[in-house]
Amino acid sequence: MSKMKSVKIDRRSFLKMLGWGGAGTALAGCDLPTTVTLEEGKEEVVSYLMPEEYVIPGIGVWYASTCLQCDAGCGLHGRVREGRVLKLEGNPDSPINHGKTCMMGQAGVQAHYNPDRVTSPMLRKNGTLQAVSWDEALSELNGRLGAVSGDRFAMVTGTVSGHQAVLVSALMEQMGSSNHFAHETINARVWRQVCEDMLGDPMPRLRLDKAQVILSFGADFLGTWLSPVHMATEYAKFRSAPRGMLVQIEPKMTLTGGNADLWLPARPGTEGALALGIANFVIERGWNKVNVTPNVRRALAEYDLPKVEEITGIPVSKIKRIASLLSERSPALVLAGASAAGFEDGYESVAAAMLLNIIVGAVGETIEASAQFPEAALLARQGSTADLIKFAKGLENKAFDVVLFANTNPVYTAPEALGLEKGLAEVGFKVAMTQFPDETAMLADLVLPLASPLEDWGTHVAAYQAGGDPVISVQQPLMEPIHKDVRGFGDVMLGLLKARNKEFEQFADYYAYLKTAMLNMPGLADKDNKNDAAWNNLLQKGLLSAKPAKGKLSIKAHTVEVAGYQHSKEYPLHLVPSARLGLWDGRHANIPWLQEAPDQIAKVVWDSWAELHPKTAHELGVKNGDIIRVSSASGSIETQVYIHKGVHPDVVAVPMGQGHTAYGRYAKNRGANPLKVLNPITDKKTGELATHATRVKVSKVPRKNILVKMGGSETQMGRPLVRTVSADQFRRTEGEG
Amino acid sequence: MQFANRTSLNNAAAVSIRRLQAKLVQCGKPFYLLMALAVMALLPLTAMAELPVPSHITPPPGEHEGEHVPQPIEFPHDRHVKDMKINCMYCHTYARRSKVAGIPPTSKCMGCHKVIATDRPRIQKLTEYWEKGESPRWKKVHDVPDYVHFTHEKHIRKFVFDADFPVEDVQQVCGVCHGEVREMTVAEKKKPLNMGFCRRCHEANGGPGDCWKCHK
Amino acid sequence: MSFKNILENFSKYRRGAEEGGHHEYEHRWGMAIDLNLCIGCNACSTACYAENNLAVVGKDKFEKGQAMHWMRIERYWDDADAGRDFPEQGALFLPMLCQQCGAATCEPVCPVAATYHTPDGLNAQVYNRCIGSRYCNNNCPFRVRYFNFWSYYESSWPEPLNMQLNPDLSVRDKGVMEKCTFCVQRIRTAKDKAQRENRAIVDGEFQTACAQACPTGAIVFGDTMDPNSRVTKLWQEHEVERGPYTSKKPKQNAELRGYRIFEELNVDPSIMYLERVRETEV
Repeated sequence: MSKMKSVKIDRRSFLKMLGWGGAGTALAGCDLPTTVTLEEGKEEVVSYLMPEEYVIPGIGVWYASTCLQCDAGCGLHGRVREGRVLKLEGNPDSPINHGKTCMMGQAGVQAHYNPDRVTSPMLRKNGTLQAVSWDEALSELNGRLGAVSGDRFAMVTGTVSGHQAVLVSALMEQMGSSNHFAHETINARVWRQVCEDMLGDPMPRLRLDKAQVILSFGADFLGTWLSPVHMATEYAKFRSAPRGMLVQIEPKMTLTGGNADLWLPARPGTEGALALGIANFVIERGWNKVNVTPNVRRALAEYDLPKVEEITGIPVSKIKRIASLLSERSPALVLAGASAAGFEDGYESVAAAMLLNIIVGAVGETIEASAQFPEAALLARQGSTADLIKFAKGLENKAFDVVLFANTNPVYTAPEALGLEKGLAEVGFKVAMTQFPDETAMLADLVLPLASPLEDWGTHVAAYQAGGDPVISVQQPLMEPIHKDVRGFGDVMLGLLKARNKEFEQFADYYAYLKTAMLNMPGLADKDNKNDAAWNNLLQKGLLSAKPAKGKLSIKAHTVEVAGYQHSKEYPLHLVPSARLGLWDGRHANIPWLQEAPDQIAKVVWDSWAELHPKTAHELGVKNGDIIRVSSASGSIETQVYIHKGVHPDVVAVPMGQGHTAYGRYAKNRGANPLKVLNPITDKKTGELATHATRVKVSKVPRKNILVKMGGSETQMGRPLVRTVSADQFRRTEGEG
Repeated sequence: MQFANRTSLNNAAAVSIRRLQAKLVQCGKPFYLLMALAVMALLPLTAMAELPVPSHITPPPGEHEGEHVPQPIEFPHDRHVKDMKINCMYCHTYARRSKVAGIPPTSKCMGCHKVIATDRPRIQKLTEYWEKGESPRWKKVHDVPDYVHFTHEKHIRKFVFDADFPVEDVQQVCGVCHGEVREMTVAEKKKPLNMGFCRRCHEANGGPGDCWKCHK
Repeated sequence: MSFKNILENFSKYRRGAEEGGHHEYEHRWGMAIDLNLCIGCNACSTACYAENNLAVVGKDKFEKGQAMHWMRIERYWDDADAGRDFPEQGALFLPMLCQQCGAATCEPVCPVAATYHTPDGLNAQVYNRCIGSRYCNNNCPFRVRYFNFWSYYESSWPEPLNMQLNPDLSVRDKGVMEKCTFCVQRIRTAKDKAQRENRAIVDGEFQTACAQACPTGAIVFGDTMDPNSRVTKLWQEHEVERGPYTSKKPKQNAELRGYRIFEELNVDPSIMYLERVRETEV
């Protein structure tokens, strides 16, 4: 080794030395499957410059990292061969996903290798975005940032945690601005608020595994709620003998609903009344495990069952049955998700569900205090739609001169009625840090291309900690950037900070910053880091656990007031913008695998659709594939009809994710975006967008589509393909697990 | 089995640390940057006219008149193998550990050529690459189709290590498929490497006959 | 291997299956899929795309039934829903993939012996041998064989998406039939490793991509000839045995959940499903 070329070690030249740093150079030893050739000299072979001992061409090496396809924070192992990442699996050490992944996690590689990435900085000149160098881009940006003062600067991100959150806070501090907005359309903001107010803990741990019955008001915990992969692993325990029972109340069948033992659609927005009715009946029968104050008792007494049936449309007999299940099958767990929370009184509905939890004794049994990560600065700054609305208000008031977007696409997700595009037109300088040419980037004055999550460094603290000691999960690059002109989010942020605060100059780059920061975290075994042992161990494991800041649950049951049901003549139906595990809020619409993966319930691919109950479809005179126009007071969309019974007759459900006007070849001009036509109604308590509150009317458009979906038949046609067995027999033969 | 342990260190299930060393492949259509997938192993060292065939191998009949493939650096196998008596596996070090034999990393070339023959034009060209931090784009000479799973490691194990064949004579084993590389400057394909050639050898030497052993 | 040889092997394996199991198997890979745990989330299916270089065909070709999903999740509505306003008992999800039948109906009809039975008990598809007659597809009761009606290399993997392709298996071109292989490349890697280390394969040391991804652990993969493997134990627990349908009672113990789809066709599937559990009292 003494004869080897000695090279100064900074990160980039280090990598360059080890691998292939030269501009545009290629690499090493790939046997990329292509067409077949036996001709001599037609293919090129490039060797390593100087490989690590353990790298052998032809043999995969696994690296630990973190999944960023949603904000649940699952740990990953990535298989790397010849410098390319080929496959992602879950990290078995992660308490969040236990080595498992969801379809979006699996598709992370297609986001990374996406053919429609932004590959160089672009600056708007004479009205069009033109490629420029990073030097030019950053000098323009720094100039603009230097000229803006305090709150006139705003930053919009998605959920951000770990050391990226630290850098975002630091930049906001340097800029003297308090206008950081974290925006996520799919969130559990209302649930968190209710938990905080009624239990004293915003993110309590939910013990699905301990529950014998789960009553879920629209919480799609297997698909899109809180931490889906983790919930699915817990669900497996819940379903093992003696097998808990799942009751799902929601206006449109979600993935979780598809797995329920009892699935019922209440009239949209009346989930709160149903929960109160159940609570009332439980107390009436003396089945409650916890007593409530006379105040609460009196308020509950309003909800006698005939009245609840009238409000919700759920027959008294069913309500009684659900109530008795909650007491028979103790311990119970009651959850509430988007379809309960997405109304003006959404907070109250979720609170009603929580009240039920308290009454049936779930708190302390199936709901436990959270074990949060102890470093407050690293905790997730969780996205919400309330932040989006605040941001839109600011735009309306012309409050911002410079706006910096990072890894978020509000121009796509914001309802038309918020006037985001119009407001943004008035902003002097808009910067989009992004991997893809999304709708927000298309309106920006400066686009900064980010490295993909598989090319970048980071740390992540999941908002929902899965139990045991809380963890911070490390994201390390699985390969060198595909495009040489992209930069990591942390590196860009650090660069902006260095220009404003000399103290940051001690860090050559974000890697150096992160390494220093992590090695100084409490809980690391070896701070001395001899020969990089501690650091290497950390990277190899992919996560670090810490002694938790233990929460404590303190019950504060209070009265809940939910609104009654209002009929509307002009807009008779409710629009449900349903969330899909797959395209999510639209961010994965550019991933071909996820476009081609059939929706779990409707089985439709590559397009949008509107789910209608057969009764509603009959009234409207439409059939599968007919095009309908769905109009709200805020606008209209057109899409094809898919008829099935898993939807309330008063509902038209259109999934989120399609209807992009940009975002690359797979996403652009495909389907419709239901978020666009939502009315700007908010939850009174939290200010969250009331996503399910928009009333619509539906009209037939004289056009027809072929509904492209998987599977020819909707039923088994009498063939015993999926056989079933009764739960009693299952318990008898497979016992107590 | 002395290599088994070493190989197991690099098994596919071991989660390895640190960032990635290898930069990626930019694959333009005409160049599929294949590393030494198939073969570039080569060999001889005894200065005899005919390369002897090891007695434990029944070589399959079959010859091929390979084209001369121009390489970025005209690497003289004859000089290294015949004159300097360097073992094939000194440079093609992955052959015993992986499906691919591997083009040696440039660092390996520079290990010697930092000081040896630095006045020669080819070495100066190599040094230029090294200093730029690039590797030459070699042209692949020995190739098998995409649907074939061929692994050097198993063949070397069977015919060298398990057979107690002297490692210093390994070029005789390599030569069964790669011909007399010690007489070549840049490598040329001298054996057909088609299915008939493989099958004849498998039949004569007791190799597996199941389709999925070799087809993928 | 001569054509005569192939025919003889066919007969040997098929006869073996009818006699209650071929005894010269080296391994017999099998699965147990618990429909009580399957949530229909598509993780397995997407993992399969990632592992096995499956082409994305796009909307138009999907409509024509040309999608290449080796592992697909069927969703059925309950027949009983016909009389109800709502599907009150949820949907029925069924992961459907090649059942690697012991007496596969696809094998004997191939005119060129491109599909055959391996000593591992798998229905192999040799891509370079396939001439695209599609007889096998027509003869498969499970509809789990997928034909490349087009060449997808350019359309499915525009650069740099092609860099994700798994080099351990080929990209199939136009005119070739393809199907689930139980991730034979993973099997091969594990066998090579075990051989190198002079030991037997340990149950669980590798899994198929679908089993590894499955968040609920509904899919269990392993060697049904290894008496200690999880999959063998599950088969035993549910009293499901290999071999022809006619030789034993339809179901030894009606109380147990194990069954094989289309077992009555006497194809000897290698996948045991466990019945979905339903609450009767709601």
